[in-house]
Amino acid sequence: MAMTRLARWAARSPAPVFAAIGPGRQAETERLLARPGLRRAATPRDAAILLVAGDLPGDTAEALSHVHDQLPHPRATLRWQADAPDAIAARIETAWRDICAGERDEDDHLPDEPPNAWKGIGPHGQGGKGMMGGTPYGRPMAMTGTDIRDGLRLDRYTARFGPFLPMLPPGLVLQVTLQGDVICDLDVQAPPLAQAADADAPDLCAARMLRLLGLDRAAHRVMHGQSARALWLRGAVPKRIGRIDGTSARDRLIAWLAGDTVSVAPPDLPALLHGAEWAEAMLILASLPPSALIRAARGVEAA
Amino acid sequence: MQTVIVILGWTALAVLLARAMQPVADSTAPQAMPFLGGGTPDTHAWQRYHFRPYSMALLFVAFEMEMMFMYPWAVVFVSEGIKALAEMGMFLAILSVGILYGWREGIFRWQ
Repeated sequence: MAMTRLARWAARSPAPVFAAIGPGRQAETERLLARPGLRRAATPRDAAILLVAGDLPGDTAEALSHVHDQLPHPRATLRWQADAPDAIAARIETAWRDICAGERDEDDHLPDEPPNAWKGIGPHGQGGKGMMGGTPYGRPMAMTGTDIRDGLRLDRYTARFGPFLPMLPPGLVLQVTLQGDVICDLDVQAPPLAQAADADAPDLCAARMLRLLGLDRAAHRVMHGQSARALWLRGAVPKRIGRIDGTSARDRLIAWLAGDTVSVAPPDLPALLHGAEWAEAMLILASLPPSALIRAARGVEAA
Repeated sequence: MQTVIVILGWTALAVLLARAMQPVADSTAPQAMPFLGGGTPDTHAWQRYHFRPYSMALLFVAFEMEMMFMYPWAVVFVSEGIKALAEMGMFLAILSVGILYGWREGIFRWQ
């Protein structure tokens, strides 16, 4: 099929890639996505190419199917095993050109039906009493519980986040109960996948925090060995959050930006994140080096 | 007649534009799920939470409206006399209900 001028123009833009990262591949994948010609997509909805790096454990297969099906059509899955970064970058660019030309697409892995059947209380399945009850599209409505911040009775929303959430380390599955954006319950369901020591590299850790702050360009510069060149960066991280062993999240970001490796004792994750707002909690998690997070999450699971 | 044609024309145009820009809900069941990195939610995403700036916004609007109407009121107060005073009294009484509500909600307790 001949490419239209519009499709050719689209093919010249950076390829939007969403990465599902396997054990030991975090540093490599993050450096790959910082290359020119590739764009790290924030969500599957924003991506056209799903990059599966390394061998994912069997228990993440269903999660990977969810992520895969959330990519819009047309889409492509690329498995990255032993290729050199140059080779996989070339494969991604070829796949992106094929996608833009309309020559490549994949079907859903999961069936196109809601997780449970529509079920309500009323004669037409319209719901329950007042604003609560019923199970529209297979899921019950959130029910109220006492808020941990000021005692208001607010809805509790429970969901499992991960293992491929970009702001969490790959493999980590957290079951979080939120009231608004306040974390009132947190349970580690699966620890992050093991990563080599190069995942703790200062530039990668700093870039993770900067991306979370929305400073993508600064993160890009840091990963290419330049200074972040962002105005009053330390002010973007609240002063007292994520305090472990006398260093706060802000101190760790400053150390990483200065090129120092940070090592902290594995913290007690549920205690650290309980009562934090969602954005704050993600910043705290990003301010911990992957090695500390892995040990912390394993400790919680063993206990 | 011309007015009617213009009104009908604009209405038709607005309807056509709305139809053209209507989002197409053709997502599959997996795509309709919230993105949780492969995880699944227990409950529906529709939930009630506390919109915390609400009471501050209420207080702001109460004082802002007061100021907005008091300037023109001050200009005509001398010529209108007691009638203007009574009108402003009623207006302030209504606004102060909002402030009292905020007081009950604890807006003035600074931490």
